[in-house]
Amino acid sequence: MSGMDKLFSGMRIAATGLTAERTRIDVIAENIANARTTRTENGGPYRRKVVRFEPLLRESMGFGAAKGDNVLGVVATSVEQDFTNDPQMVRDPGHPDANADGMVAYPNVNTVLEMADLITALRAYEANLTAQENFVRMAERALRILQ
Amino acid sequence: METPKPSNSNDILLRLLSASELRARVISANIANQNTPGYTRQEVRFEDALREAVASGSKLKGLQPEIIQDTITPARPDGNNVNLELELNALRENRILFETYATIMQGRTTLKDIAVSGGR
Repeated sequence: MSGMDKLFSGMRIAATGLTAERTRIDVIAENIANARTTRTENGGPYRRKVVRFEPLLRESMGFGAAKGDNVLGVVATSVEQDFTNDPQMVRDPGHPDANADGMVAYPNVNTVLEMADLITALRAYEANLTAQENFVRMAERALRILQ
Repeated sequence: METPKPSNSNDILLRLLSASELRARVISANIANQNTPGYTRQEVRFEDALREAVASGSKLKGLQPEIIQDTITPARPDGNNVNLELELNALRENRILFETYATIMQGRTTLKDIAVSGGR
């Protein structure tokens, strides 16, 4: 791998971070948008979704085990439903989805929590952007040696 | 410390530049994985080993930057020990080092050009 290629591969590491964080931002937006959705195609209220992140390892890319730099970035492997807490039951007899007791099942989405997650995701996105910018400057500086 | 010979010092600068570039990639990988549960941050070690090798006058040929897993920094509850502020700071520090090595190298190249052209 030549010197410039290494700088480009550094930019790609930051790009994987940007993609993964954007996936997280999309999922958070979906959670917030559906915070009051009481009916889904599976029946029952909307379930909060969470993204799973995993390191993108050199082995998994089929390059074989290498000593040294092994982490080539990050990847959002799946988006899964959060079953750790139950839907919130709210009394609202006039609601079309109210049960016999007049209770409505609302999603297990806590919008305050989602907003806090959104802020950390945005910050993480910016950090990856900074890292990417860093490689651009390094490449430009390396080029100037030749001038 | 003995001053390295001119031919040697270009080699040292190239190695420093290459280690600095590797460090930028490792820091970027840490930043990309700041929200990955169970991820252990990595670090590049090179300058100390280089300094020792130069001081003791041993061969630099086999000297390579080393990537180590940082198991000392305490992890968050999700098993990840990346601190975004520290990584961004390390990235900036590293860029200054890269700029420094590049500037020294550029200066050397310019000197050589002057020597070749006989100062005209």
